[in-house]
Amino acid sequence: MKDDLSEITAKGWVCGKCGLPLERGPVSITYMKSSFPVDLPRCPCCGVTFIPPELALGKMREVEKILEDK
Amino acid sequence: MDQSQLHAFEARCVQDDPPPCQSMCPIHLDARAFAACMQEGRLAEARRILEKSMPLSGLLARLCHGPCQSHCFRAGVDAAVNLPLLERACVENSKAGRPFALPATNKHPGILGGGLSSLTAAWELARKGHAVTLFHSPEGPGAGLPGFLPRTALNEALEILISLGVTLAPLPPALPDFLQRLRDAFPALYIGQDDPELDPETLGLGPGDLRLNPITGETREAGIFAGGFAPGKNASFMDAAMAGKWAAGSVERFLQGVAPGTAREKDGPYPSRLHTSLDEAAPLPPVLPADALRPTPEEAGREAERCLRCQCLECVKKCVYLQSFGGHPKKYAREMYNTVVTVKGHRQANLLINSCARCGLCAAICPHGADMGEFSAQLRKELVNARYMPPSAHEFALEDMAFSTAPDVAFLRPQPGFAGSAWLFFPGCQLPASLPRETEAVYAHLCRHLPGGVGFFLSCCGAPARWAGQEKQTARTAASLRQQWRAAGEPSLILACASCLAFFRAELPLLPAVSLWETLAGLPLPENRADFTPALALHDPCAARGEAGTRAAVRALLARLDREAEELPLGGATTRCCGYGGLMDAANPPLGAAAARARTEDTDKTLLSYCSMCRDRLRATEALSLHLLTILFPGRTPLAEEALRPAPDISRRQEERLAFRTRLLQKIWKEEPRSPSRQERLMDNLLIADDVARRMDERRILRSDIALVLSREDTTLFTRPDNGRSLACCRPRQVTFWVEYSRCEDGTIRIHDAYCHRMVVPGVPDDPDGPISGLAHLPPAGERCCKDATGCGLQKKT
Repeated sequence: MKDDLSEITAKGWVCGKCGLPLERGPVSITYMKSSFPVDLPRCPCCGVTFIPPELALGKMREVEKILEDK
Repeated sequence: MDQSQLHAFEARCVQDDPPPCQSMCPIHLDARAFAACMQEGRLAEARRILEKSMPLSGLLARLCHGPCQSHCFRAGVDAAVNLPLLERACVENSKAGRPFALPATNKHPGILGGGLSSLTAAWELARKGHAVTLFHSPEGPGAGLPGFLPRTALNEALEILISLGVTLAPLPPALPDFLQRLRDAFPALYIGQDDPELDPETLGLGPGDLRLNPITGETREAGIFAGGFAPGKNASFMDAAMAGKWAAGSVERFLQGVAPGTAREKDGPYPSRLHTSLDEAAPLPPVLPADALRPTPEEAGREAERCLRCQCLECVKKCVYLQSFGGHPKKYAREMYNTVVTVKGHRQANLLINSCARCGLCAAICPHGADMGEFSAQLRKELVNARYMPPSAHEFALEDMAFSTAPDVAFLRPQPGFAGSAWLFFPGCQLPASLPRETEAVYAHLCRHLPGGVGFFLSCCGAPARWAGQEKQTARTAASLRQQWRAAGEPSLILACASCLAFFRAELPLLPAVSLWETLAGLPLPENRADFTPALALHDPCAARGEAGTRAAVRALLARLDREAEELPLGGATTRCCGYGGLMDAANPPLGAAAARARTEDTDKTLLSYCSMCRDRLRATEALSLHLLTILFPGRTPLAEEALRPAPDISRRQEERLAFRTRLLQKIWKEEPRSPSRQERLMDNLLIADDVARRMDERRILRSDIALVLSREDTTLFTRPDNGRSLACCRPRQVTFWVEYSRCEDGTIRIHDAYCHRMVVPGVPDDPDGPISGLAHLPPAGERCCKDATGCGLQKKT
């Protein structure tokens, strides 16, 4: 999963709470007892993670399907 | 599920059974594959197929009289395929392959006689690695073979036997103890009686010595086998070859220390169960070769074209689900069973298990009644019980069911003015969601004409839980329905939806339930008539497959209305599913859409359904589609326009169900509507353009989901200073929703995009009862023009 996420950017979004531009950082996302350490745009202060539609509907959905059928 | 259930299902699907030409062939030649190669002129490959099952093909192919021809399905169209013609053309025009033998066994069976059965037995045993000695009469091997057989063919066969290590030896002069000496020298013997030169008496065999075991061909003495026709008896060369092959099987077992009668069921000819439809088989006259003994490859190719390559696939031809996974029920059953019962790791057949519409068409078509729906239903239950059911497959449908059965939506009331109910109208969850006006009209009609009071019961029957394999939820729903029916005084149920009726028949068989259509057929017709009806084709819902009464009542109603509707080729008891049944569309949306398209491709006329889900799903393919209630109770909109009315999306269905309840309770039972929740008020102020709504529908995101996310204070995680948009996110249940929105000056909220995922991201608010957001404090609703920073220019949706 990690290799395909380098193109995910936050395109002008800032953290709603802290007002800071997002920076890539390590996040662990989980599903069905599997967890994936990935680098994603997130708030450098509060750490909230940004998931754009192309990630949710692309790679994430793909991984969900694989894990559900495993 | 245990293996016996799998085997019982597998036994019903005959697609893998060999065709009768192969099963009834004494040597089980794969005639389909052979004919395919001959048709395409691939002679070397055809020869290889021939030699796989045909001993000494250069001999036998020229001697075969084609016993398969009396069993060929093509005979039902014009005349059987002339397979001997193909066999002769093959061996006349191709080279014999180099025979392959297993490693030497150091066992040396003996064969007496040089007839065809002995040569065949020698070939079979030599290929098993045995060192065979064949004793022939002084005239040499090949005794009893006909004159038309070229001498070169016999010589080639003998060379092949020698190359396989067979020793050919003349029978020594007869001696009184000859047989006993052979018996001492060879661990097993075969006596081929089809050699006319071989005299049993000279072998010292008495009349009782050749009384054979009918299964094994074994004589009274263990290890001595015999076979082949006795000279003068009316038997064919194929019989002789089979006798040799059969005896070789007995000798082989004997040499291995296995009882010679073990597993012989399919050694010789046996009847095939394969079904093959001749509906599309066009007549094609048999080829008459110029020289019957030496047909040309071209003549054989033309004759091979007549082979139907028999297979069943009757169900597969008519079901998009069975087509879409590239196999047939027997193969699927094995894959499903392996995924649920055998394999503990990858569950690759989950989609296969969950995509079936459980519509029963396969069972209705199958000559042996194989029902893929019943089979997959059992495995869905097991997936659920083992907690291996993929969460995404049915979750939305089950949540929708929970919505419809919740007290906010579901209700049961007796007809005003009646204390109890003789009847209880149960429209199901989708009819009021799609056709609220018609639902109300038909209820009024029932109240007008049925005595004793007609109660109204809005709820979901529980079919989604049953389809999803959720046994506990199914039982809970059924128990709740029974309890409510009892409390209503045990009235007779009138069900508008065929899927509800199927659920009641299966889960609540003791409750008196009848279809709306049978009820209406017994009542006076509504007074208003639609003045124009387009040309119609009648689509029966798959759930009415077992309801002949319902189907007949619908036709009777149409006849009384003086409306004609074309019967579809796959209609009535063999109707197709629209793709909603069995939650096909929930688990496999592209397949669900394909199923609906397949139905609409059956006709150019306006499809007439009596299931609202069918009506909407067929309409969603762009086909013209009407519901029977719209014809029975026409509104102000002309029917031609009604046939074009778009199918409501998933949000609209829920909202309409709720609005229907509110309206009906107010109008008929004079009950005050409850004040809308904050979330509902927020929904009323969402601006969602059509393309965004379409994307939401595909992603199974409801307007109420959006409202839920935006009604929370802590969900707006990101903002964009450049265009004033915000991104809110919340995980109220197993799904995380993201909503990109902007606020308009008048307080309405424009939705730019919404998407969701199931993977869990840390830091996402997941409390559906979290603090209330400022967005939920809305100005009073009214006609407002959106004037947000981006100038969307949308009108508020009403």
